[in-house]
Amino acid sequence: MWTVWTVWMVWMVCLVPTTSEALCTEDDGYKVRLSIKTALGGDAYEWNESEMFFFKATLAFAMRTYSGGEQYDVSNILVCDETLRVSFVFVVTKPSNTSELVPRTEVENAIKKSRHRINSAFLLTDQTLDFVGINPTLAAPIQYDTPPWLIAFGVVMGLVCAGIVALLVSTFLNKKRSKKSADEEEAGRGNGILCESIRGKDGLFNQGLVDDDRLTKL
Amino acid sequence: MEKESRPSWDNPMQFVLACVSYAVGLGNVWRFPYLCQMHGGGGFMIPYLIMLFVEGIPLFYMELAIGQKMRLGSIGAWSAISPYLGGLGIASVVTSLYLCLYYNVINAWSFWYLFHSFQAVLPWSDCPVNSNRTAYLEECEVATPTQYFFFRETLNISSSIDENGGVHMGLALCLLLAWLIVYLFIVKGVKSTGKVVYFTATFPYVVLIIYLIRGVTLHGALNGVKYMFTPKMEQLANPQTWINAATQIFFSLGLGFGSLIAFASYNHHNNNFENQAITVSLINSGTSIFASIVTFSIYGFKATFNYESCLERMRLLLMNTFELAEDTVHIDNISFWITDLNRTQPEQIAAIASRIETCSLEAELDTAVEGTGLAFIVYSEAIKNMPAAQLWSVLYFFMLLLLGMGSMLGNVTAIITPLRDFKVLAHSLSNETLNGLVCLFCLLLGFGFTTRSGNYWFTMFNEYGATFSLLFIVLLEIVTVSYIYGLKRFEKDIEDMLGRRPNWYWKIMWVAVSPLLLISLFVFYILNYIQGGAPTYQAWDKDVVREELTQIRLGLRSDSEISCVNLCAYSHIEMTVTRKRGAIPFGLRL
Repeated sequence: MWTVWTVWMVWMVCLVPTTSEALCTEDDGYKVRLSIKTALGGDAYEWNESEMFFFKATLAFAMRTYSGGEQYDVSNILVCDETLRVSFVFVVTKPSNTSELVPRTEVENAIKKSRHRINSAFLLTDQTLDFVGINPTLAAPIQYDTPPWLIAFGVVMGLVCAGIVALLVSTFLNKKRSKKSADEEEAGRGNGILCESIRGKDGLFNQGLVDDDRLTKL
Repeated sequence: MEKESRPSWDNPMQFVLACVSYAVGLGNVWRFPYLCQMHGGGGFMIPYLIMLFVEGIPLFYMELAIGQKMRLGSIGAWSAISPYLGGLGIASVVTSLYLCLYYNVINAWSFWYLFHSFQAVLPWSDCPVNSNRTAYLEECEVATPTQYFFFRETLNISSSIDENGGVHMGLALCLLLAWLIVYLFIVKGVKSTGKVVYFTATFPYVVLIIYLIRGVTLHGALNGVKYMFTPKMEQLANPQTWINAATQIFFSLGLGFGSLIAFASYNHHNNNFENQAITVSLINSGTSIFASIVTFSIYGFKATFNYESCLERMRLLLMNTFELAEDTVHIDNISFWITDLNRTQPEQIAAIASRIETCSLEAELDTAVEGTGLAFIVYSEAIKNMPAAQLWSVLYFFMLLLLGMGSMLGNVTAIITPLRDFKVLAHSLSNETLNGLVCLFCLLLGFGFTTRSGNYWFTMFNEYGATFSLLFIVLLEIVTVSYIYGLKRFEKDIEDMLGRRPNWYWKIMWVAVSPLLLISLFVFYILNYIQGGAPTYQAWDKDVVREELTQIRLGLRSDSEISCVNLCAYSHIEMTVTRKRGAIPFGLRL
């Protein structure tokens, strides 16, 4: 009787892990790869049992958040195929029945929902904490009320238009002013006497200079 | 007697800066580094400098002399030399007009990129995401974000020149702004241009120096600079090298457009243009070499970045496939690992064989790009990886703008100066109105380049529009001056202006060497055109997402620009010949 019980116990002890190993396959779960040294360089932490426990706890948290309070626990996350790469496969069992697995799609949605929290927990990013088969949701593009380029364009356009208007107005005013002063000279004010006296000759051309090009400074 | 004397530069420095601003343009930044790379790096300097002294400076000197002596724009100047040569001046003006039409579109693109640099994340650094945020847009995935931003968001390019599409509103606004700025700069003729060139000629150098310092301190920049300066002397035996050096000098100095004649026509009669010609030409070539150092340091940075990304991808691939610990595979021992794994686990290596890339720095450096591809795609890609990318982006596109605007000043002056020489126009329209009308005309025609197929029209104008006609124009110019006008008269005019006769060196160049060189270039271009078959352009294939060579269908298409441009060039020869026969003198006299 005692030996039968011992044999049965030994058999159970051997079977349970085998059962859980049988549950943990990549087809039913997801493969995870962590690139800690790539992400953190010198500040990288060692991957050990405690970190694995933390990871299981994070996944359980993700499942709880997604399912709206179902009591997922660390023991519901089964991990296998651990490698030196720091990659492993995990499956999630239902809290009500530990031999039944949660469907892959549910796990995927749960992870997608809490992806940012999971990443932050491990100081990693979407690229360095890789769930093989779960594509990261890309950041939404920033929406602007007014595209910033239009604002820059408006500023420059305004300045240029102001400059053109200023130049044209100043030219126009100068012309009016010179026309007014020309009118005044005709009336004989200012040094109009000098103008009138040489008006009859060839304009203002000084005949004494043979080649005025050399001496005329423009 | 003229009521108004001819306006002039406030001081000779303005004239020199105007010439520098005109000659130093986008070609110095995006064409010369490419040629350097293609033709053996440091070794290319030899044909380049030889061509500068043999062809560039003598022709530049000649154009300045003509302008300063005749004191008229290109039409008036050539008509004054010989009444039958008015067509030569008109050809210059028409070529300048074509250039004005399409060149300002580059400035519009520069504005577009400049304004888009004022964002937290540069828009060409990431691909846009699709509607359910699961992946990036497919067109952008296959190409790169910078290519996508240029071809899709900036140009919204169609698949061929026949598909016009609509006008891209943003680009049209930028083109409008570009023309308004050109108008602002030339509204009062040389009085306003003279003040603007102080800035447009000098500020690009400030940016280039800043970029040089930034460039050489970038990781991997020295790879690029070393690559550039390693001379490959065997390229000197290739005739293409010499031809490219000659054409580069020729187009870089902006000969034949009439801009130099126009600028020089506002000079004082005794201005020492000989020293100025040599100075400006040397500055132009020096800037080309300086800009290529900057470009190659940027190339080196980009190539090293791509090379290291490639190595990183391979490292990740090996680690993930073979479950190796992170610190065992480094980027230095990847090849060792691959050979080792090939020996121990060949089946697995074979399984991922399609994803294994051979990363080569040489191959990355070998990708030579020129033109708008270099300026807007390659450079933006390099800039987005720099720290404080927005600042560098703004600086870079502002520099491109200044270079482009400076050249535009010369081009528009080349059109306006001959027009103002027509007494009829000068009396009926004021300075400001005439300048405004020219700018408006060019703006309206330029909107065609902002349509979806605009880039194809641009390429056609850029590659086929002016090259041939310019060679012909300058050849005719030098032959006219040396033989028709006569070297003796020309010498006397120069002595009149400068107080000394030109050196024997100049005379030999004008009479013999430069014409011979131009004739051989001309013959080469004709041979190339005949042998080349139908002209082609690169079209963006949306499905394959890269540029494919497409043939331009000429023939009976009445809107084919090529036949139009060539027709115009030939029609000027026709006009000249007709005038010779009919002996109708052109209506301009000094």
